[in-house]
Amino acid sequence: MLAFFAQHSKLVDQIGINALLALSLSLSLRAGQLALAQAAFMGIAAYVSAIGAVNAGWNLVECALAGALAAGAVALLLALPIGRLRGVFLAIATIGFGEIARIVEVNASITGGAEGFSNIPNDANTLWIYGTLALTGTALFFFNRSKFALAAAATREDENAARGVGIDVARVRMLTLAGGAVVAGLAGALYAHANFFITPGDFGFPRMEQILVYCVIGGVTSSLGAVAGAALMTILPEVVRFLQDYREVTSGAILLGIILFAPDGIAALWKRRS
Amino acid sequence: MHPRSVVMVGLVCLFGASAAFAAGGPMAGKTVKVGVIADVTGSAGAYGTAQKNAFDLAADDLKAGLLDAGGATVAFDVEDAASDPAQVVNLTQKFSTDGSALLIGPTLSSEAKKADPIAVGASLPILAISNTAQGITTMGPCVYRDALAEEQVVPEAVARTKKNWNVKTAAIIYGDDDQFTKTDYLIFKDALERAGITVVDTETFHKGDVDFKAQLTKIEGAKPDLLVVGALVQEAVKIIQQSNALGLKAHVIGGNGLNSPQLFKLAGKDAEGVVVGAAYYVGNDYPGNKAFVERYQKKFGIAPDQFAAQAYAAAQIVAHAVKGGAANGAQICSAFKSASNISTVLGPFGFEPSRDAHAPSAILQVKGDRFAEFR
Amino acid sequence: MLLQQLANGLFLGAVYALFAIGYTLVFGVLDILNLAHAAIFMAAAFTALAFAGAGVPLPAAFVLAIGAAGLLGVLLDRVAFAPLRRRNAGTLVPLISSIGAAIVIQGVVRGIFGPDERRFGASLVPAATFHAGGLTFGTLDLTILIVSLGLMLLLSFVMRRTALGRNIRAVAEDRVAAALLGIDLERTIALTFFIASALGGAAGILVGLQYDSVSVDMGSRIELKGLAIIILGGMGSITGAVIGAFLLAVVETLSVAYISSSYRDAIAFGVMFLILVLRPTGLLGKRALRAA
Repeated sequence: MLAFFAQHSKLVDQIGINALLALSLSLSLRAGQLALAQAAFMGIAAYVSAIGAVNAGWNLVECALAGALAAGAVALLLALPIGRLRGVFLAIATIGFGEIARIVEVNASITGGAEGFSNIPNDANTLWIYGTLALTGTALFFFNRSKFALAAAATREDENAARGVGIDVARVRMLTLAGGAVVAGLAGALYAHANFFITPGDFGFPRMEQILVYCVIGGVTSSLGAVAGAALMTILPEVVRFLQDYREVTSGAILLGIILFAPDGIAALWKRRS
Repeated sequence: MHPRSVVMVGLVCLFGASAAFAAGGPMAGKTVKVGVIADVTGSAGAYGTAQKNAFDLAADDLKAGLLDAGGATVAFDVEDAASDPAQVVNLTQKFSTDGSALLIGPTLSSEAKKADPIAVGASLPILAISNTAQGITTMGPCVYRDALAEEQVVPEAVARTKKNWNVKTAAIIYGDDDQFTKTDYLIFKDALERAGITVVDTETFHKGDVDFKAQLTKIEGAKPDLLVVGALVQEAVKIIQQSNALGLKAHVIGGNGLNSPQLFKLAGKDAEGVVVGAAYYVGNDYPGNKAFVERYQKKFGIAPDQFAAQAYAAAQIVAHAVKGGAANGAQICSAFKSASNISTVLGPFGFEPSRDAHAPSAILQVKGDRFAEFR
Repeated sequence: MLLQQLANGLFLGAVYALFAIGYTLVFGVLDILNLAHAAIFMAAAFTALAFAGAGVPLPAAFVLAIGAAGLLGVLLDRVAFAPLRRRNAGTLVPLISSIGAAIVIQGVVRGIFGPDERRFGASLVPAATFHAGGLTFGTLDLTILIVSLGLMLLLSFVMRRTALGRNIRAVAEDRVAAALLGIDLERTIALTFFIASALGGAAGILVGLQYDSVSVDMGSRIELKGLAIIILGGMGSITGAVIGAFLLAVVETLSVAYISSSYRDAIAFGVMFLILVLRPTGLLGKRALRAA
């Protein structure tokens, strides 16, 4: 068991971080918001935390908090202009925001630009990552039983009806966006402190696509599903490595297969059996 | 049984079986395991494929006795990281814990900066074969590099253009969102300054761009003598074609990224006269090179490029070290430290005290359908 | 220089438009974003390359390849979207499905053609340039512009004057009502995919010819631009997509010329963002599909 861990600890860490990212997106998706800015929030927090560690000597906790707060603040600012957008418009606007963030990271000098940012202290070990995941999971557990979660679900089902019942839809959307951003921010800070080196390309559209896949595969309305989806898709490339040349096509086919077989996500399959 | 359950069980079996594949058994005997991480697929696929090809050829050559490792078996385990930094990290961890004596790769500098520290922490020596960014060999006392860094090649290339064409002004176009091309820009900028050449315009583009007319039109307006292209071959080809179409009259020079037969294959006549500062000239006369080129061409149907050559040279360097008695990581690390004058397809090879490559550079110029030396 | 830059923008816009129309057609009819569109764009270019390499004259290769792209689109619908339609899976799930399909298409093309960039070759691609009124452009650019506009006019004709076009617009407007009126839904959707993918494929071949280069990742840059364009123009509006395409191309080209090439994409997305904030439904603000 210990040997397995020694050989695969990095993979285990990646699962933890990806699970956090999936959870962060699921918050927005549960309120019916297709806000695809998770990768951008992750990136902003990663840079804030990396710069803080290297330039200002902050420790891991300070970096993570700074990163998460920065991401949350940006989310609150973003919530204003995108407030009136819905559906695919919202998705594309947030993707566009992600691109803008990435380009700023490429051109700013404090981030190291395209050459990336090096020498980040490697102090986010598995304990920290899974500790954060457990904390987030617990917070979501209580969140799921709160009235706010009901309001979010109502907004997702039928926005006009929700408004009719007195739910402040704009507030629901803003808070789920910011909450998700904070979680993505924690993931970003952990990512930076687990990888020695980051570049703007780590936080672009391909990353966003991946996070979206985790959530949908797992089941959009389920926290456990998001974690399962992240775990599954993170392990997949390693598991099919023996296929060599056929790996790419097989991975795509597996993704297709899973989504066609279980469009409501893995979590729904589980629920149906029980 | 419910069909859904069958599929579930099947999926679990698939995962289990492949885990068994991955676990592997302990290695015994006089075999030196070398882990190679290359981006065979994904965005860096063209480079990684050339690298994998070279190691496949090296494996053949070892069996046939064309590569001499003093009787020991050198096993190159080439794994594809699919241009995904996460996979590079996982593969590095794998090689750090499975008894490998050396890690070769990964393909990109940005991947190396994420993954090399893991190997360094596990005392696994690294031989980089295509990382030309700054800050690679400083990551650990056993991190070596056989790929000439741009700053070892560019100044000489610039000096020769000045000598041949009396260049006074230059314009630079480079990719600002890729570490390789950005570093290229910085090094060229420095070299031009030192050579007393004035930079009259600087333009940028992004990786994957296909249309450069806007930037090139601007550059054309500044009428430079020399156009510096800080790009990888895909973009460089289009830049060169479009600049010719627009009537830009400057001489063209580029770095490592342009050292590929694809340059004149894809750009045709437009590439005529382009100068490339590189680390490998496919037509060089160093012992063993012509035969290597022939064997590579025969096996893969295409001439080897710089990536293939640097990969094959790494195999030669490793074979040399193993022949000298090195069988584990520590021994390989010290063998490299004292390596000098090893005969490789890149020429006589050694490592600098900084662990960077010490090898002849190749300043080339496109003439017709091939590269020629540019003096 | 302004005129030259505007001309550059014009040629760039023509290709963007062809690509964006495909996105907007599928969205208008099915409310889904087909992220495999860029993969078909790329696969069509390789198909044309293969035909041309086998000796087929270029115009014929072009037609055959866009036909193949259309068929690939229909196949894509059958495999990745139709099963989900039957199960009422919403709009998010097909998005993921299209991502999976895109990966498969890329993997297959890479498997067949290898990871290297390919070229049509000077013998096929005319390199003549000519100058008019102080501007420089290639005969190829002009040909591409004409072909693009031609295809767009053809589409406009189909959408406005044929029964198929009416059916597509009806399904886009209200799927249930269209079915009640006796329109064969699945057939109409399949034909919509055929047209959208054929146009996207045409864009791919033209881009491949324009820059004489075909590679497996040639779709990734244009994919995001395409999204920005359909937002700019208004989702589901073909005219909007065309206008948005030219607008974006000109904004991009001019921002390189007068602001900075580094921030070019950021400016393009910034403009898109701005328009979305001011007019959430895009420039032409139509929700349902309208003909050009």
